[in-house]
Amino acid sequence: MTHRYLLVKGGALPLNNRQSGFRYGLKFFGLLLLTAFINLLPAQAQKKTWIKGLIEDEKGQPVPGASVQLKSGTDSIKSFAVTDEKGVFVFDNSHQQGPFVFTIAYVGYVTQTITKNSLDPQKEQSIYVVLKESSAALSEIVVVGYGTQKKLNLTGAVDQVGKEVFENRPMTSATRGLQGVLPNLNIRMTDGKPIRGATYNVRGTTSIGAGGSALVLIDGVPGDPNLLNPNDIESVSVLKDAASAAIYGARGSFGVVLITTKTPAKNNTQLTYSSNYSLNDRTIKPKFITNGYEWAKNFDEAYYAWNDYKSHPAKANSVFPFSLDYLDELKRRNDDPSLSKTDIDPATGNYVYYGNTDWFKELYADKNPATEQTLSASGGNAKSEYYLSGRYMSQNGIFRYNPDKFKMYNIRAKGAVRPFDWLKLENNFDFSQRTYFFPILNHPGNTPVWRRISDEAFPVAMLKNPDGSLTENAAIVFGSFISGGNYSDQTQLLLRNTSRFTTSFLHDKLHVNGDFTYAYTSSVETRLYTPVPYSRKPGETLVRGESKMNEENDRTTYTGMNFYADYEQRVAKNTFKILVGYNYENTLFKSRYYQHDGMINAGLPDFSLMNGLNYTLTGGGYEWRTMGGFFRLNYNYDDRYLLEINGRYDGSSKFPESQQFGFFPSASAGWRVSKEKFWQVSPKAISDLKLRASYGALGNGNVNPYQFLQTMSVSKLPMSINGILPDYTQQPNVIPNGLTWEKSTTLNGGIDVAFLQSRLKVSFDKYTRNTTNMFTVGLPVPAVFGTSVPKGNYADLQTKGWELSVNWSDQFKAGNQPFAYSFGVVLSDYQSYITRFNNPKKLINTYYEGMKVGDMWGFVNDGYFQSQDEINKYDIDQSFIRVSNANVLMPGDIRFKNLDGDKKITQGKGTVDDPGDQRIIGNTEPRYAFGITGSANWNNFFLSFFFQGIGKRDWWPGTDASLFWGQYNRPYSWMPEEIMDNRWSETNRDAYFPRFRGYTALNSNAELTVQQSKYVQNAAYIRLKNLTVGYNLPAALISKIKMKNARLYFTGQNLWTWSPMYKIMKTFDPEVIEGSDPELNNNAAGIGAGNGMAYPMLKTYTVGLSVTF
Amino acid sequence: MFIKMKNSVYLLLILAMVSCKKDLNLKPFDKLSPDNAFNTEADLQLYANSFYKILPDGSSIIRGDVMSDYMGGKDVNNYIIPGAYTATQSSGWSWGDLRNVNYFLEHYGQAKIPDEAKNHYAGMARFFRAMFYFEKVKRFGDVPWYSKTMTINDQDLYKGRDPRTMVMDSVLADLDFACANIRSKKDNTCSQITKWVALAFKSRVCLFEGTFRKYHPEMSLPDNAKWLQAAADAADEVIKSAQYSLNTAGDQTMTYRNLFINETPNASEVMLAYVCNKSLRVFNDANWYFTSATYGNRISLIKTFTDTYLNIDGSRFTDTPGFDTLHFEQEVKNRDLRLQQTIRMGNYKRDGQIAPPDFTYTYTGYQPLKFTVDSKATDGVAENNNSIPIIRYAEVLLNKAEAKAELNGFTAEDWNSTIRPLRQRAGLKNTDMPQTIDAYLVAKYYPGVKNVALMEIRRERGIELILEGFRFYDLMRWGLGSLLTNPYVGLYVPAMDVLMDLNEDGKPDVSFVKKIPATKVPGVYYFLIDGDQTKLSAGNSGNLIWLGNINRKWEDYKYVYPIPYNDLVLNPALLQNRLWE
Repeated sequence: MTHRYLLVKGGALPLNNRQSGFRYGLKFFGLLLLTAFINLLPAQAQKKTWIKGLIEDEKGQPVPGASVQLKSGTDSIKSFAVTDEKGVFVFDNSHQQGPFVFTIAYVGYVTQTITKNSLDPQKEQSIYVVLKESSAALSEIVVVGYGTQKKLNLTGAVDQVGKEVFENRPMTSATRGLQGVLPNLNIRMTDGKPIRGATYNVRGTTSIGAGGSALVLIDGVPGDPNLLNPNDIESVSVLKDAASAAIYGARGSFGVVLITTKTPAKNNTQLTYSSNYSLNDRTIKPKFITNGYEWAKNFDEAYYAWNDYKSHPAKANSVFPFSLDYLDELKRRNDDPSLSKTDIDPATGNYVYYGNTDWFKELYADKNPATEQTLSASGGNAKSEYYLSGRYMSQNGIFRYNPDKFKMYNIRAKGAVRPFDWLKLENNFDFSQRTYFFPILNHPGNTPVWRRISDEAFPVAMLKNPDGSLTENAAIVFGSFISGGNYSDQTQLLLRNTSRFTTSFLHDKLHVNGDFTYAYTSSVETRLYTPVPYSRKPGETLVRGESKMNEENDRTTYTGMNFYADYEQRVAKNTFKILVGYNYENTLFKSRYYQHDGMINAGLPDFSLMNGLNYTLTGGGYEWRTMGGFFRLNYNYDDRYLLEINGRYDGSSKFPESQQFGFFPSASAGWRVSKEKFWQVSPKAISDLKLRASYGALGNGNVNPYQFLQTMSVSKLPMSINGILPDYTQQPNVIPNGLTWEKSTTLNGGIDVAFLQSRLKVSFDKYTRNTTNMFTVGLPVPAVFGTSVPKGNYADLQTKGWELSVNWSDQFKAGNQPFAYSFGVVLSDYQSYITRFNNPKKLINTYYEGMKVGDMWGFVNDGYFQSQDEINKYDIDQSFIRVSNANVLMPGDIRFKNLDGDKKITQGKGTVDDPGDQRIIGNTEPRYAFGITGSANWNNFFLSFFFQGIGKRDWWPGTDASLFWGQYNRPYSWMPEEIMDNRWSETNRDAYFPRFRGYTALNSNAELTVQQSKYVQNAAYIRLKNLTVGYNLPAALISKIKMKNARLYFTGQNLWTWSPMYKIMKTFDPEVIEGSDPELNNNAAGIGAGNGMAYPMLKTYTVGLSVTF
Repeated sequence: MFIKMKNSVYLLLILAMVSCKKDLNLKPFDKLSPDNAFNTEADLQLYANSFYKILPDGSSIIRGDVMSDYMGGKDVNNYIIPGAYTATQSSGWSWGDLRNVNYFLEHYGQAKIPDEAKNHYAGMARFFRAMFYFEKVKRFGDVPWYSKTMTINDQDLYKGRDPRTMVMDSVLADLDFACANIRSKKDNTCSQITKWVALAFKSRVCLFEGTFRKYHPEMSLPDNAKWLQAAADAADEVIKSAQYSLNTAGDQTMTYRNLFINETPNASEVMLAYVCNKSLRVFNDANWYFTSATYGNRISLIKTFTDTYLNIDGSRFTDTPGFDTLHFEQEVKNRDLRLQQTIRMGNYKRDGQIAPPDFTYTYTGYQPLKFTVDSKATDGVAENNNSIPIIRYAEVLLNKAEAKAELNGFTAEDWNSTIRPLRQRAGLKNTDMPQTIDAYLVAKYYPGVKNVALMEIRRERGIELILEGFRFYDLMRWGLGSLLTNPYVGLYVPAMDVLMDLNEDGKPDVSFVKKIPATKVPGVYYFLIDGDQTKLSAGNSGNLIWLGNINRKWEDYKYVYPIPYNDLVLNPALLQNRLWE
């Protein structure tokens, strides 16, 4: 009070009463404008206190640290001040020209702008401002099921991010943008393929039975986020606990992700055009031995060593002849580079190659460009509003020859009219088309190119013959990229329309809303296979591969409707809210697949121009339907005590008739402790404190349809019977009796605290989710049963986890300009345990009761045998593990620990009680997923960064992981440079890798094939996902061309990565360790069984420009 | 207002629920169900096609003899290495095919079609059930017999094994039903089961069972004569039908091999085949398997066996003085024409180029070419389109001859109608039945055989059916598992470091050395004699011995495989085969 009095006394203005100061200023603005101009022009600046100001909050407490910016007249230079601990700011130099615009900003408060026209530059004056707590803090709105909720009143576990996550960050799908930004929304991007999507997992292991991931809704309707224009997204919220997801019933059992698209701001017409241009590069460029002779020596040695130093290879894999003669000749040519790299074998007339080929260099282009162009327009008035947006994105692929090409087109048209003041009619139309062209190999089984290179692209082999034709090895690996005519071409098309009405009655207390959605998705993939020409001798042309084309044509038709009403009533401090509604959805999926072989003309791939005998035409599909009635009751006493009850009576066609319906209730409550009278903590220390708890149970409706019916499918027999490949059918699956729903029950506790006047906000949730009655395999029965044991509700699982988010934002004065900055950290973790499973013997090769999900069993290393003498004296029988063809141990081979003391290395009975010499050596589940964001704004410059990573994860390099094992895998595979000097030898006894022997990381039970402690890799990582620096062009400059905003920026994505794995091997990206290319042949789909051989993760450099009119 | 609204919402909700409840019963539209899959003959045919999956595929047939006495490969099968094979490694206890057949037999009666058609398909099902059980009995001896599908709670899942006699009687009943009811129209595509195929297969099964019982007295199995008679009768019925004959068309040096290297099976002799077809892209991988150092097993015949091929004049090669020190290029001359149609020798050419035995793929010099085509185009890819026989008429002749000889009822007429035509086709000049027993065969192979005819029949069977997957179980039924320990003897090497020309084309092909010389003659493979894995029988000369360093041992309990360990755990009542515990 005293401060204010003093200041008022010193002021020259008739200082208005404090509540209406702002309004007062506005009122006189127009009148005073002219006077100010005239009066202020000749004034001179003086070095004295000119303006003093006091800033307080609504409770009358001074606000220190608030920034005050002053701009006068047409001055392009602004002055800047910050309030002291008493909430006082001072401007020393007077400005010459009015109007004077004060902009007062502080974190957690509504930014205020005060315009004064009548300030006398010659006199000391004062102003007083009351800052209102910002609506962002007070009434930050979060999207929840069938509505919105003030963040402060939330009782469930809900997180939300806004459009900033997708800004200045070109990406091929919104999914990539969501990775790591919301705690415990777990998204694994398993490679860098532009069309790569991911399942949305919320809070870890869901069900080991029917499975299930989060339900993803776009504007309230199930949709594919990978086809969405990321720039259309306004917010993404995740409903994590059963209580907040219950309104979606059975499909929300493992969380719900709500994506909301932008809506136009009223009375604000704007047009925005953005354009960016990117260059992509690979995050990892493995270094392999490319010197032919060096590689061949290793090949020979690896093969020789596995064969107990008795036989040398006669071929490198399938077609490349090899012999010791050849090796000698290779050495001679290597020593004398003037000699030709090819020759002709006089015996066969075939070419002989002495190459030094870097096959990756041949495979990949150096850089690949991408571009994105977007245009959006929006506007509105009291009666109508519209939002229109369009986007074109294209990305050229990574390959040097016939590269892949990604293109995406998006159009969204949203409009609304208000024919009456109580009724709003909306329509939301969405069109997306995504095309992806991808070169493929002409190889049975659709082997991905990386897998083929790993075992057929030898440095000694060459890409082309002297006459320019392809070599046989080239034809095997990626000759099809060079000769062309081998590709997959897919087009995804989405048409979606939602019509919606919303009403408002009884002074906005009652709303009745409804919507109807029709969506059509089509996915067509054409694959063409054209034989690859190659030659083995001059003048010869052979071909390799098939001549055929196939096409898969999938169509999904979705219809859905919602009808719901909510009513809100306040009685004194009590607020009641009720929502009831009905939902109906139907999905029909139909598929066609056709294939024909024998292209008549290689240049004209069309089914009309094929005359082969082999053709296939199949159909297929499914249909499912859900319907449910739902309600939500909210009770709020004085914004202090919060209660919410949700429930849904849900029906699904995916279940047997007697089990189609279920009722799923939930409840949650919140207590805003800081609103209590006894709460005496200063808001400067803790400004808000809320405790939350929730409990709910949901059935899992995420199962595949028809699982409960006996079906007999018809397929083509892969045998020629009576001159054709006939169709056949066979015995149906055995279905169990008395099935019931899987159930997930979540108990959630949370706390939200805001410290230091909301500069620091912390939110923490801890949960336990029990998934019970999981639909899993029955007890194994004797094999004479003759078919797979029917599944049943045989297993339970418990997942415990937590998530934390911390946000700090503040600003200070730097160089007379406000410097606003913020940091955020999200961190989450979960662990799952099997609490029931049909495995009474506790076999460790499957789940067992008490098992922590992801546990890996394996042997324990005990160093190397360092001498023959040591081997001779060794009294433990290690013959179970093979080191060579004849299994003869030599120095440098691995010694395994005899854990059970029986002098024999075994797997025991393979049970928990008798695992032989195995123990748990790691866990494949990713833990401590984190995201770290930061941003800063200063003087029109802005900067932001985003780190994402996994804190802990073990990975076992599987059988085909030759990126890790090199020639320890197949002797003729590639050889990473890292292995070269890290192999055991007499002089390198502590090397990471054992005696160099091929096949030891490939053959069953071989030395490096058996899982063991030492070679478990730590696949944790931290990655700089995004770094953006940019500049907003000064308004003074751009306003001349009627621009509201213009921005230039540079963005880098995946710029830097570090993983503990890199200490050993830097041949693959820590995220790309799952199965290989799933579109072609996901032969290693199991988690942790991957091999790194997939589309490389990309590093992107972007320059962009965005202008708004 | 609010109450009214709420009520109407509820009303709507309830209405919607009730009206749509039956809409939730959605059935799959792209799959059959047991109600609609067994009504017409076409339905039965559709289901019966699934039985063909029981047949072996081409790629597995050509590997059938990897474990046998007449060849060596890149390693020794664990089965005959002492201590290396236990119940944990055992496999083959899979029963899905049986359930599939039994499910059919429980449902085909739904069809409203004439009994003849019903019985034809039931016969098909029972033929395949017999085939299924034949494989199980050959491998495991006693097995449980099931003629129904079981539910998960069926106590029969846990029953013990049924006696071999009971199981084989059931197999015979199935075969008899099949032979009596499967339609008899000859199938010139050689890909379908006909009455004749069923009869031929019956002769195989019965011969196996009859001889097995006869040569395994320790198992005290009765009625071997009944089985042998059944074998002879079934074979005879095929012969008498006169639907089939040996292929003798064309160049006599190719009449035998043409049965194995052509896309279209020879319908006169081949009764059932794994039919490969380039247009339909049904392939086997014979070329890749037999010509790759890493992909295949590098199968090589051993000299001890190739020595049993007669001279072209009909005399015994092993009666020739010095037959065991003849150089390769000499010893293969003027022999039974099947030799040159089985291994690389003489002027054999591939893609027009002379192709001597290639020691990058062979360990003994006797390198098989029976299933490989002469074009190298598929050497590195599984795209061979030559059809692989499963049952040949030649086998039927051999089955009949052997069954009759075992019954001591083998007549001159039998010789003339079975063995003689095989030898004539092989180009032998003298095809009369020998009068004396071959001492070499007695010494090396069949010490217990006294009957000259039986000895010649066994010689003939070994040669005629070589590599077609018969040998292991022939040894089992003859009680001759010990032959699996035969040393892997290769060609005769006169001396170390000599350049040898194996096909007399004037270019040396191989040299056996202790150390690879610094200067090498182009085109020569230097075969390292390390004195361990590779040896010469007399040190610095003699027959090549491959893998003599590996201890192989036959134990008589190995005539049946062990029940896989995990299956015994699931059902201890199965009890392990003797001495496999």
